[in-house]
Amino acid sequence: VVVIDDDYAMRLSCDKILAKMGLRAESFDNGASGLEGVAALKPDLVVVDLKMPGMSGMEVISRVHELDPQIVVVVITGYATIDTAVEAMKCGAYDFLPKPFSADELRLIVNRALERRRLVRKTQLHEIERAMLTRRFVTFVAHQLRTPLVAVHQYLDVMQRVEQSPAKQREWRARCLARIEELQDLISDWLTLARVESGALHHERVQVDLTKLIGDLLCGYDQIAAAQQLSLENRMPDSGLSVMGDRNCLVVLFDNLITNAIKYNRVGGKVTVTGTLSAGEAVVDVADQGIGIAEKYRPYLFDEFFRVPEEGARAASGAGLGLHICKRIVSEMGGSIGVESEPGAGSVFRVHLPAAMNVEAELHEETHSDCR
Amino acid sequence: MKKRILIVDDDWDFVEALAVFLEANGMAVARAHDGNQGVKLAKMDRPDLILMDIMMGERTEGFFVIHEIRNDPALRNVPVFVVSSFCSRLPDFEIPSSGGWLENDMFFAKPVDTGLLLEKIHQRIGRPR
Repeated sequence: VVVIDDDYAMRLSCDKILAKMGLRAESFDNGASGLEGVAALKPDLVVVDLKMPGMSGMEVISRVHELDPQIVVVVITGYATIDTAVEAMKCGAYDFLPKPFSADELRLIVNRALERRRLVRKTQLHEIERAMLTRRFVTFVAHQLRTPLVAVHQYLDVMQRVEQSPAKQREWRARCLARIEELQDLISDWLTLARVESGALHHERVQVDLTKLIGDLLCGYDQIAAAQQLSLENRMPDSGLSVMGDRNCLVVLFDNLITNAIKYNRVGGKVTVTGTLSAGEAVVDVADQGIGIAEKYRPYLFDEFFRVPEEGARAASGAGLGLHICKRIVSEMGGSIGVESEPGAGSVFRVHLPAAMNVEAELHEETHSDCR
Repeated sequence: MKKRILIVDDDWDFVEALAVFLEANGMAVARAHDGNQGVKLAKMDRPDLILMDIMMGERTEGFFVIHEIRNDPALRNVPVFVVSSFCSRLPDFEIPSSGGWLENDMFFAKPVDTGLLLEKIHQRIGRPR
């Protein structure tokens, strides 16, 4: 704390009180030397007398803020009229203290000013942190988008320079296609995430029948599942399980969960989707019989970019965005998502969403399509 | 005796493309897909030159690997070419011999200019006989 006052007795008592509060105080008897002190000491708080010979208190306030606009200034004034106080506030003072004042009054005002200072600092730190996060994020996204492109580029480049066997050429072409597909998926993921983050979900809420939506999704995976000898079991109720939300996002949500359940299943395993209505909530479980998720990784599962490290396994495609997107969608809709897992036996992802309570809609319900 | 190159990069496709290219140019290539594997293979294989990605599992994994390799007396002087997309806007450049880098080290942007890479490898460790 820097105290600037031309009155020796005032400086002395201020110094004493502030020292008792555990603060480091330095005092100066005029504006010019006070400002030098502020520049050198970089204080959190400046207490300044308004009426001094030479540089006025008002000028000191604006000069202090030229040095550092974050420094909190409190003025002491002998003629505490509303006018002078208002003028001091206009100049950027945070508070004022009319003379004569008691030690308690000084303590109160100093504490309030320091609290203010802490808040300002905290906001400032928050802003820096956010800027850094944004920068990190942009770098990361650029890296993610570039990686598949680089792989394709390098394949094509080497194919041009080195004569390859037809088998190798075929293999590389297939890899190029896979990487381009990865890029496409990545871009869709980003777009979905941007959509969720922009709050679009609130504008496009319609009643969506989960039984139909999940039934259709499961039908779409029949062939892929058969290729991996997986069975898909639909245990959704025949009707009555609806939520209010954006249809596309709900498709993304359950599509991600079902795709994961297929991708991380064991050969010959089963994917079970169960739906129930419980206490005004639609509860959907997506269960697989795969390798499960170790407990230590579960808290991070829904984090952006998190991927469960797989020892020695060929890196499975994916950016670590799928479950994060799921979580964002669910929380935007006022629901929750969680996971239970037993390593070696499988995982169950459980989604809670507020159920749509609309009896009329049930009458107009689209007929449950059966694609089998 | 063929010159031995170690590639450390978590992108299997990128490694495959480069490895085939270098093998076609008469080199023997060892492949590592993460930092740990990279250190292990470097110590076991004693490559003549290492191509190192930076952003692998961890954001700066490659730098740690280089540090560990430099700590091994047997590997202290092996040239390391950093190959990373993080420096893609810079031209391929040679590293000044300060800051722990060797004058034999280089930065390459991804995707790699394979012609230039081959030229620089030959410059550093000689042509195969």
